[in-house]
Amino acid sequence: MAVEVAVPVSSDADIIGARTQARQVASALGFTHTATTLIATAVSEVARNIIVHAQRGSVTFERLESNGRHGLRVIARDSGPGIADLARAMEDGYSTAGGLGIGLPGSRRLMDEFVVDTAPGRGTVVSMTKWLS
Amino acid sequence: MSVPILKQGPNLIASIQSALSDEDLIRLRDNLAAQVGQYRSKGVVVDVSPLDVMDSFAIRTLRDIAHTTKLRGAHTIVVGIQPEVAFAMVQLGLALEGVATALDLEEALSTLGALPGAA
Amino acid sequence: MATLVNGQVRVESQLDATLLQAMGMTEEELAHRKEFLQFDQPDEQNLASISDLAESYADPVIDAFYRHLLSHPESRRFFEDSRVLEHVKRMQRRYFLRLTQGHYDMAYVQDRLNIGAVHERIGLPIKTYLGAYAFYLRLVAQRLSEAFQAKPERAMEIFLSLKKLVYLDMGLAIDTYMFSRERTIGLQQEAIRELSTPVLQVRDRLLILPIIGVIDSSRARQLTVQLLQAIRVNRAKVVVIDITGVAAVDSRVANHLVQTVEATRLMGATSIVTGLSSEVAQTLVTLGVDLGKVFTVGDLQGGIEEAERLLGFRVVADDSGPA
Repeated sequence: MAVEVAVPVSSDADIIGARTQARQVASALGFTHTATTLIATAVSEVARNIIVHAQRGSVTFERLESNGRHGLRVIARDSGPGIADLARAMEDGYSTAGGLGIGLPGSRRLMDEFVVDTAPGRGTVVSMTKWLS
Repeated sequence: MSVPILKQGPNLIASIQSALSDEDLIRLRDNLAAQVGQYRSKGVVVDVSPLDVMDSFAIRTLRDIAHTTKLRGAHTIVVGIQPEVAFAMVQLGLALEGVATALDLEEALSTLGALPGAA
Repeated sequence: MATLVNGQVRVESQLDATLLQAMGMTEEELAHRKEFLQFDQPDEQNLASISDLAESYADPVIDAFYRHLLSHPESRRFFEDSRVLEHVKRMQRRYFLRLTQGHYDMAYVQDRLNIGAVHERIGLPIKTYLGAYAFYLRLVAQRLSEAFQAKPERAMEIFLSLKKLVYLDMGLAIDTYMFSRERTIGLQQEAIRELSTPVLQVRDRLLILPIIGVIDSSRARQLTVQLLQAIRVNRAKVVVIDITGVAAVDSRVANHLVQTVEATRLMGATSIVTGLSSEVAQTLVTLGVDLGKVFTVGDLQGGIEEAERLLGFRVVADDSGPA
C-alpha cells in the first residue's frame, strides 16, 4: 500500500498525466472538488516548468499526517539548470520570453506550503503541500 | 487531438472535447486565426466546458486566440468555464482580463448577434 | 457527497482499502503497539497452540455470544433482521477464529481496521463493542479452563496471550471508529455549511448573496465556489453581493471579494457589491486594494434596482389603487 506515487515527466503529454494523477490522489484523500482543482492546477504548472527548463523530471505525491491533520505533498524534481535568481522567479509578472511566467508564484498561491530548493547547475526541487481543512 | 471548429454563419464555434496538450492548444489558435481570415468571421466562441483544469499555458493561449482573431476583425468569447476552474484561475492570478466571457454557447451567440455589424 | 433528506444531513463515507494509508498505519506503528502490549513470539505460539480448540468451541461460543446480545434491547436492534444476523454470525466466527491463526501482520491490521469502520457505519456504540468483547473473553476463559483442567497455569498463560491480542484489536477498532467518525463529522459540517449559505434567486437571471458574519479564507472560498455554482445552475447574469453584514472588512476580505467578482465575470455574470461604505472603500484603497474592477452601489435595494436595470427590467409604478 504505497503512500507515495511518482510520475515521470518528460513530455507534453506527461503534464496531463501528472494532473490526472494529482486529481485522483487528492480525491482519494478526501479533498473537495475545489481543492482538487487547485492542486491539479498547481501540479500542471510545476510539471510544465520541468518540461520547459529541464526537459525531464518527476512529480511525486506523498500523503502527510501531522498532529492529526492530513495533507498531500507534491514534489516536483528535475536535474535541469536550476534557477539562477529565485527571488525574481517568485515575482509575479516575471514572464520574459525565457518563460518563467507565473508558474512558481501562481502555484504558491494555490497551495498552503511552498518550498523551492534550487541552485544553478544543481537542478530544482519544488515541494508544495495542501492540508485537508 | 484536434479541436473541431464549426462554422455557423458569421461565427466560428470551437468545442474543446477533452484535456488538451500544449501542441493541441497552439494548433487550435492557429486554426482559428486561419479560419477567421478565410471566412471573414465576425465572432468566435471557444467552449471550454469539459476542461476541469486550466493552467497558465491554456489561459495564455485563450488570450492569444482572442488577440489574433481580433486583429482579423473577429470578437472572441470564451464560454463554459467551470466554477472550480474559475476559482482556481483567480487564485492563480490569471483571470483572462480583456477577454470576453459568457456562461454558455447560447449566451455567447446572443451577445454576438447583438453586436453592431453582425449579420 | 452529501444530501439533505427529511431534515437530516446524510453523508456517504467511503472507507475502502486506503484506510491503512489514510490512518497512517505502518509496519513500524504495528511493531510499536505489539511492543507496548508485550505481545511477542511466545504469545503467538500460545495462540497457535489452541487453534484447533478454538475451531471446536467456535459455534457454541458464537451462539452464546449472540444470545447475550439479543437479550439486551440496546444491542438487539442491530440484529433484528434474521438474514443480517446469519451474515453477522458468519463474519463473527471468522473474526474470532482469526485470533488464533497467527500472522498478525499488516493484512491482519487492515482487516481489523475495516471492522472498526463497519461498526462506526452502523452506529454501534463503543460501550456495546467493549461490553460484547468482555462477554466473549469470559466465554473463552471458561472453555480454556475446561480444556486445561490438568494444567490451569497453561490456561492462564494462553488466556493472557489472547488478552494482549484482543487489546491490540480493540485499539485498532477504536482508532478506526474515531477516524471515520471525525471524517463523517467533517463532511457533515461541510454539508451543513453549504446547505445553510443562501444564494437567493430573486428574479430570472438575478442572484443575491447576502454575506453575514466573519469571513475567513476557508469560508470565503466556500462562498465563492457556491456562488459560482449557483450562477451556472440558475444561468444568472447579474449577482448582487451584499456585505452590509460582514463583521470586519479588512484588506484580506476585500481581496477575496475582488477575486470573487473576477471569478463571476469568468462565468459570464456581472457582480454588484452593496453595503460597502465609502469610508471603508477609502481605507481599502489606501491599503492598496484595487477596487477598480468592483462595481459598488451603496445599499442592497439600490443594488437590486441597478441589477434589474442591467437585465432590462423596468420598474413600473402601480397607480391603479391604494398603496
